[in-house]
Amino acid sequence: MVSSDDVQRLFLQAILSRGILSGKLAQTLWEKCVQAVKAAEPDISVPYSQTKDAWDAFVVKVNKSIDNLDLEFRHLHDETTGREMYALVNRKGDEIAQMATDYTPAEIAYFKAIIELIMLAPRESFSVSSFAALREVSAIKPKTNMSKTQAENVLGSFVAKGWLLRSKRGRYSLATRALLELGPYLKSTYPDEIVECTICMEIMTHGVACHTNNCKVRMHFHCFTTYRRRHKACPTCRADWPESANEKPLVPVGEAAVKDGEDAKHSGREKSAEDSDEEDEAPMDESQGTQPRTQRSQRTRKTKVNVDESMDMDDDDEEEPVKKEKKSSQPSRRSSRK
Amino acid sequence: MARASTRSQKAPAASQSQPRASQSQRAHRGRNEESDDDGEGGAGDYEADGDAGEMAVDEGETEIKRKANDLVRLALFTEHKRTPLRREEISKKVLGPSTRAFNRVFDRAQDILQKTFGMELAELPTRAGLDADTNTVEDELNEARKATGMKKKAAATGSKTYILRSVLHPAIIEYAALTDEQILEEEAADVPSDDDNDDDDYTPQYYGSIISWSSADQLSSIGVLYTILALILVNGRVISDSELRAHLKRLGLPPNGLLPLSQSSTHKTITLEAYLATLIRQGYIDRQQVGDNKAGGKGAKRGRVPTHADDDSGATYEWRWGTRAGSEIGEKAVAKFVAEFMVGDAAGDEDDEEEGGSRRGRERREGAEEKLVRMMKGIERAAGGQLAEIK
Ligand SMILES: [Zn+2]
Ligand SMILES: [Zn+2]
Repeated sequence: MVSSDDVQRLFLQAILSRGILSGKLAQTLWEKCVQAVKAAEPDISVPYSQTKDAWDAFVVKVNKSIDNLDLEFRHLHDETTGREMYALVNRKGDEIAQMATDYTPAEIAYFKAIIELIMLAPRESFSVSSFAALREVSAIKPKTNMSKTQAENVLGSFVAKGWLLRSKRGRYSLATRALLELGPYLKSTYPDEIVECTICMEIMTHGVACHTNNCKVRMHFHCFTTYRRRHKACPTCRADWPESANEKPLVPVGEAAVKDGEDAKHSGREKSAEDSDEEDEAPMDESQGTQPRTQRSQRTRKTKVNVDESMDMDDDDEEEPVKKEKKSSQPSRRSSRK
Repeated sequence: MARASTRSQKAPAASQSQPRASQSQRAHRGRNEESDDDGEGGAGDYEADGDAGEMAVDEGETEIKRKANDLVRLALFTEHKRTPLRREEISKKVLGPSTRAFNRVFDRAQDILQKTFGMELAELPTRAGLDADTNTVEDELNEARKATGMKKKAAATGSKTYILRSVLHPAIIEYAALTDEQILEEEAADVPSDDDNDDDDYTPQYYGSIISWSSADQLSSIGVLYTILALILVNGRVISDSELRAHLKRLGLPPNGLLPLSQSSTHKTITLEAYLATLIRQGYIDRQQVGDNKAGGKGAKRGRVPTHADDDSGATYEWRWGTRAGSEIGEKAVAKFVAEFMVGDAAGDEDDEEEGGSRRGRERREGAEEKLVRMMKGIERAAGGQLAEIK
């Protein structure tokens, strides 16, 4: 027997069959689900309207139906495009359980390690070079025989499934799906590193920071654009802001915080040619003078790395001397391994 | 997550499909969303249908409810891996020590699945059941086959393994598999246009249907599965090992060949043998020693035979559809998929990777309809009879 509730049932099936989808597609699917039910039972009365309110009410209804299952049809704005994205999120467990269905324990351990590199990246760059990402394979615990070639495939899979973004420069950062589904994990594991957007209060890994010392204002690009239309100055410190989020003196949050060729400029000989080629992690705090990121100085490794085990793995780690110098002031995860 | 795509279901077992008494009223209430704030059809308000008072005092009831929710979650997550859910797994992961509660928890979970998702856990038929089925009604394919299939399922020949499938009205399921222009357009727009598309060889394939496995499946290998299923199908629903291998070889898949996996997989390739073994394990295809397909008791032996071509002992093998293929995909869907697959291939799938998803989507559609129809007819003819719906 066809019922009007079949709309939300079919809709949930449609969502289950997809990973992450845009709000526009989701709303189109809703409309199509209504049509599907009407095609099966023309006389049935199904509430539907294209208004935002109707859509929101539908989402509430869908969420009510899956609440007891600790599932949630949640949305978030894509940090790079500003587009509204939806995914069915597993609320239960602060672990990366969602991935457990798709990946082996070693691959999940690798993913966690990559997340850690991203979250602990210096100067709120929230990204990691492919070189550093691949090198991280050797730090996975328990030890795995995953080759770097294999690791490349695995990274490719993370990107293809919407967990990670890979930029033209070859840097990895968190994609919307990771932010949506792993939000609680990120917040509980990296409370000191998490940055929230001043406007929408959501977690932020791509965006812009106010240039004023100690001003904590951070905004997504799309949130900045909306804000900047009406205001010319920072909401907190009143400093004048340029028109575009990409203009100085505003400070980028995310990959743009790591500039091309910056590594070589700042760290001199310590960088191997290989490293600078790959835009490896910049030294921790060269530019902190202009960017007060006080909360980041307490950075500590959240995932335990067996010190003994990593000893013999980092022999080729040429940036070690640099990191060691800074050890006292800022315990970076690399140096803590030695 | 879960996969409930092309599956349909003709007449779910009575215990699971009974429309709840309140359902028709709900349809009316549904007209006004505002009045609906007590929710409906949800996992949570199962109790609202009558035994709410009882539940409050019954502590065991709360426990059953919690476990039923756990079972639903387990079913959704397991389905995503495409492995059938085994009863032992349910006992181990959901029930804990109180395995006696299996039926109560299971029934409650079925109720939640149906009300919330329009899905059910369907027990796969045993091989013995399927074989008996094919042997007796081989000739009166369609209707008789379906009927027998139902009877088998109702009989106590349970395999104690389950898959998730849709129990929505067949017309809804059919509609949900259609290609819709608007969905196709939105899907194309959804393809991430990051700045790294140039060196990326991952282009998801979209079909513009309400239910879409594009993002969940590792399509390149799924294509091979459907091809294998189609080869078996058009060969009269059983194919000898040597024939299958010869066909695959002609399609560019020698026994030691490697199958490309999509970017969403963690491996670039998988060997044909490993892939066949996976398909057997997942229940999509089945390989039997010739003359060994009658007695169900020999099923255990079958599970252990290596998938390699006819072995040293001189035994010969033949391939059939596995229980899952019939329950989940169905012959029509395989024919359709293969037709689409081939039409898509002809359009030059490999070469337009760098073009935007929208252009690709449009390209797929143009002229494809007609080709598809012809292809479907050809497959049906080759199968030697009308294609069976899902069992
Ligand atoms: Zn924001
Ligand atoms: Zn400021």
